This record gives sequence, structure tokens and C-alpha cells, in this order.
Amino acid sequence: MTAWHVDDETLRRYVERTDSVAEGASVEQHLLTCAQCRTRVNSAATAFGLAAVWERTRDAVEIPLPSPFERLLRAVGLPAHEARLVAVASAFRGVWLVGVTAVLAFAALAAMIGHVRGLWLFLALAPLMPCLVVAFSYDRRWDPALAPEMVTPYPALRLVLLRTIAVLALALPALLLFGLVVPDAAPFAWLLPAVGFVAVVLAASTWVSPLNAATVVSAGWFAAVWVVGARSATPAAMLQTRTQVAFLVLASASFGIFLVRGRHLRQLRPWR
Amino acid sequence: MEGLPSDETLLIGVAERDIGAFHALYERHAGWLALRLGRRCNDRDLVADAVQDTFVAVWQKPRGFRGDGNVAAWLWGIAIRRLVSRLRLRTDIAAVFDSAGPTPAAEDQVLLSVEYGDIGGALARLSPEMRAVIQAVVLDGLTAKEAAQLLHVPVSNVKTRLYRAKAQLRAALAEGLS
Amino acid sequence: MTASISLRGVGRTFGATRALADIELDLEPGVIGLLGPNGAGKTTLLRLLATALPPSKGAVRVLGRDPDVPAERTDIRRRLGYLPQEVGFPRGFTAFAFVDYIALLKEWTEPTARHAEVRRVLDQVGLSDAAAKRIRAMSGGQRRRVALAQALLGSPPVLILDEPTTGVDPEQRVTLRTVLAEIARTSIVVLSTHQTEDVAALCERVVVLDQGRIRYDGQVTELVRQAADRVWLADQPDPAATVSWRTGTGRYRNVAAQARAGVEHVEPSLEDAYLLLRGQLPNPRAEEVAS
Repeated sequence: MTAWHVDDETLRRYVERTDSVAEGASVEQHLLTCAQCRTRVNSAATAFGLAAVWERTRDAVEIPLPSPFERLLRAVGLPAHEARLVAVASAFRGVWLVGVTAVLAFAALAAMIGHVRGLWLFLALAPLMPCLVVAFSYDRRWDPALAPEMVTPYPALRLVLLRTIAVLALALPALLLFGLVVPDAAPFAWLLPAVGFVAVVLAASTWVSPLNAATVVSAGWFAAVWVVGARSATPAAMLQTRTQVAFLVLASASFGIFLVRGRHLRQLRPWR
Repeated sequence: MEGLPSDETLLIGVAERDIGAFHALYERHAGWLALRLGRRCNDRDLVADAVQDTFVAVWQKPRGFRGDGNVAAWLWGIAIRRLVSRLRLRTDIAAVFDSAGPTPAAEDQVLLSVEYGDIGGALARLSPEMRAVIQAVVLDGLTAKEAAQLLHVPVSNVKTRLYRAKAQLRAALAEGLS
Repeated sequence: MTASISLRGVGRTFGATRALADIELDLEPGVIGLLGPNGAGKTTLLRLLATALPPSKGAVRVLGRDPDVPAERTDIRRRLGYLPQEVGFPRGFTAFAFVDYIALLKEWTEPTARHAEVRRVLDQVGLSDAAAKRIRAMSGGQRRRVALAQALLGSPPVLILDEPTTGVDPEQRVTLRTVLAEIARTSIVVLSTHQTEDVAALCERVVVLDQGRIRYDGQVTELVRQAADRVWLADQPDPAATVSWRTGTGRYRNVAAQARAGVEHVEPSLEDAYLLLRGQLPNPRAEEVAS
């Protein structure tokens, strides 16, 4: 069976749009099933700049799209390339944030229900969240250690700082919000301890893995909460002015250590 | 054409994120799609954008092709709908369906009427509005709602015109056969 | 800026283990192969050259700069590409996204130029069609090539490659050799490998490491010449040989320290010379006693 193909004349009329309605319809129906005639027609489609369209199409499918967090960072003024750098850390994968929020929400709910126990739970968990997120953003299992990353010219200190600030920028308002719904405690009381712990983990990360540091900090805090809880009735005891000042000093000192040692940071993960 | 991968094979490549297969599919189909879209819309940049949207959509859902029919028809379905989307945002451009061409030569006319009961003539005698609706719904496979978006007319309008056009064609065919 | 690397009296210890000792090295543009068994200190040496690790003693100069000075270290890193032995990839990243991320760290701030450069290096390693593929969905050899691509960003004057051809199939290995040979015309390429064929095909100069010390540093052809008249085929493994093994044809290839007469000699390969050299090295116990 010889295959039927559109003759050159009809094809020319189709391309130049000087054909009749019926002819056009007939050609179009034929093109749907005949690869050979399609090839003949393709070369006539010069007016549409299809080579440039291909470039744009390839860009659209190859170049990674900015994540919502990345767009947020850009919106607050971070240059596009730095926003991308900061966002590319597992800590900012949606799953992580959702998990952390869920834990905090649960703890806040427990506190709201009015049980004093719930309040202690919130006290124990809430200030630790930011430093845990910072720690995870550097841990090998969650953000595989990219050894080539270690010898790139980008200043390691700046990257760690930016990432930490980004974490805090998300976590602290969240903490504040949850703190507002928790009765019997000033909402701001949770902030300084949280910042303090982050500073300690940052400073420690210049020696040891931040996850190890965060684990030690968490254990220490749990122990402190336990001890105070055994002696006093309300968590307010833990958050007096004296404690707040102590945390402020701790945060400043740790941050100072981090900055000083950070200048000599040879690479992004010096404990490896 | 022997030895070249089929369109279906290329689609499998696209599903596996092979840019080479994707490019090959583009080379095979972007041209005729652009030409056919260009016969419905005068704005060449809009047509180019619609072609881009089409292939990005193919990349995002290559398994949308269920294996029924052929890949070219599936691609056209995506392309015309992308054009409709783009046109919806631009009220200054309307779809164009009229071909400026003359009626076919006398012998062809006779042949057509003998073989097809003069569908060509019957189509040509439809008003441009009715012809546009027939092309959109019958030939391009759009739903009444999509045709309405393409032609910037209410859906009821589309349905009425379609009904009348079909009636007219049926009458013309019956006349021709008898 | 001088186009060279030099190491003087470099040593590196990890706790009680001495990974490198008394390293003296001068490297110029070209491909330098680093051979040695596991544990010889190849990776440590490469990490040192890549400024990822400071030496415990001795002096390192890369492109005339001292990696211990932070400002100079950044200068070096701007001109250096490093492929480590193991590279982890973030979840869900495509090849393009990963190389783009490293390009960001290498200070390619302008997106159009950066994307063009990412495509260029992916093309160099033969992965332009796979740019949009998830790395987790790739074969080991493809992943290795992605990791190599990031090292090639910016066509750096210094390229440190730790086992670049591991897991890469033979055809791709040939492509990579061509790419590296081209780069080595103006850059210093240091690559470590277990494959003597890669060294033989690619390098003019070879450095053999064993137990943290340099045992040979010179031309590949010179090393091969050391095995001249010392390699022969026989139907049985020869007890007097330093090393012997059964080849695919069923006969035995023998390598010995002493040249032998009256046997079926064959052209020595680099592998023969390397095995001969290793066979002649003092064993660890003897060395500890001596020092």
C-alpha cells in the first residue's frame, strides 16, 4: 500500500495560508498521523524564532526554581545568589520546618490546656528548637558533607552566619507566637535562652560537630529544667531576670568566641 | 524513517529526564505546531510562548500521554489549550480562523463534491463565525467552554452557532447527495 | 603568580598515625599521576594540596601563595578545583542544581554567566543530556562525573582529583582522559588512581607514595624502563619472581628485581614497573625498627 502524502503545491498553500478551509482541515488532519509530512512542514516555520524558544524551554526545565524560603530571603533584600546559598540547607526543606512547628505547636497546646506539666514541657522544648535546626543544617546525615564545598572561596564564616540568621528569623517569631498562647509566662522569656543556645552551638561548632554540641546543650537544659522543676511549682522561676541576664551574657560570650575562631575557619565544617 | 526512535520512545526518555530525547521531540514537533497555532492566532510571539508552554507541560507530565491515539494529536491537544490560556489573558488579540484563500480550482471542486458530497463547498458557505466554531470544536477538539474562551464569545453563543452550523452542513450534504 | 605547587619537608599526622612524612614536591603544569596502595597517604596529600588540610610541619606553596594565610588561601581557592574521594549530594538535587550550587560558592554571582558555565562543564564530562536528572537516580559513574564537573568550573589552573575515574565505564574514561589532557596544557592536574592504565595513558610524570613517603618521583617512561628485561611470560609462575600472576591467555606473567636471561621477555607496562617498585620497598616493620 503506497502511503498518501500531501503534494508540494498544497503544502505550500497551507504554509502561506492561501488554501481553502477544507484543504487546510484536510492537511492538518493528515499531519497528525504522518511524520514525514510534518518534517516537510517544520522547515517552513521560520517566523517564530523556535531556536530561541528552545533555549527558553530548556532553561525552564533545567534551571532549578527558587524555593519559597529563597523567595522570602530575596524579598527581604538578600541578593539572589546569597539567598540561594542560604536556602540550600536541609534545615530549610519544608519537611523540617513542618516537623519543628508541629512539635512546638504540640508543646504550646499542652501548655494551654493548663496543666503545669504542659508548661514545663514547653519550657524544656521551645528554647532548644532553633539550635537544633541550626545543628541539623550541618549534620552529615541530613545535609551530606559536600567536601568540595570545603575548599571554595566563599567565606565560610559568612555562610554560617547567614544560615543561622535565617533560621533565627523563622524560629524566633514562631517561638514568640507560641509563647503568646502559653499562659503564665511572658512571651519574650523564651527568646533569650533560644538565642543563647544557638550561640553556644555556633561557638562549639568551631571545635566539634554542631549536632553533638546541640545534643549536649539539650541534655544540659533538660537536666536544669528537671532540677528546678523538682524544687519550685511554676516554671516562672526559670525565667526570672537573673536567668535572662545570664543567658544574655552566655549568648554574647559564645558569639564572641565564634566570631574570633570563625575568622580562622579553614572550611565550612572544621570538625571533619 | 526506519531506525529512528518513535515519539513514544522519546516520551519515555523525557520521563527519565533525558534532555536529548526532549530536544529531539521538540525538533520533530515544534515547527508544525507553531504553524498550526499561527493559523488560529496572528500574534507570532504569543504563538511562540504557547509552543514553549506546551513543551514545558510535556516535560512536567510526560506520562499524561496514555498511549491511545498518537503523540502528535496529544501534543496538539496541549498546544491549543495553552494558546487558549494565553489568549485569555490578552483581550486585545482574538483568534483568527479565516483563511484568506480562494475557493479551490474547478476540477478539485468537482472531485470534492463527488467524493465528499461537497463538504468543502458547504463549509465555505458557512458564515465566518460558524466556520470558526466548527474548526474549534470539531477539528481542533476543544470543548464548548474552551472554544468560547478562544473566540471571546459566551458559551451559549458557541453552542447555538455549533447547532446551526451542523444543521446547515447536514442540509447541504443531503442536498448534494440527492 | 607562579604556575606551580611546591612542598618542602611536609608531614602530616593524625593523632598517633603519621600519614605523610618528608614530602618534597615541585609541580608544574601537566598531568601528574599519584599511585600507591590504600593507606599510602594519597588522599591526605591531595587534601593538603587542595587547602582542605594544613600540614603538621613543613611548608606548602600553591601558585606562590601560602594556604595558612586566610587571604592567600581564598586566592588559591579561587583558582582551584577539587574532586574529593567521596562526595555527598543533597537530596533531590539534579546534576545542574548541584553544579550550580558549587558555582555559587565559587563566586559566580551573575546567573546567565553561571548557568552557561554549568552547562559547559557538564558538557565537558558528557552529561549535558542528563543535566535535569536527579543525582540519586544516576549510576555511580555518572555521579562521579557530576562531581568532576564541579571541579572543572572556571577552568582552574590547579585541579586536584582523587580517583576521578572510579566506576566510570571505559568509553567515558577515554572521554575524560581527553578532557584532562586538554586542561593540562595550561593547568596543573594532580590525580590519584588505582588504575595504572590511566596514569600510563595520561601522565608524563608519576609520583609513587607508600606509607606516607615518596618512593618514586619522575617520568613515567623512566619508571617503566626500570622494569626493562625484568618481565617475562612463562607457563608456570616463577618462584624467583617478585610478583607473578596468571594472565587471560593462561600463561603467567612474572616480574623480578633481577634481570633474567633466557626467558621470553615482554615489553614492560607501567603496572609491571609499579609492582616491581612496590615489591622492592622495605616493609613497615623494618622501617619502624630503623627509625
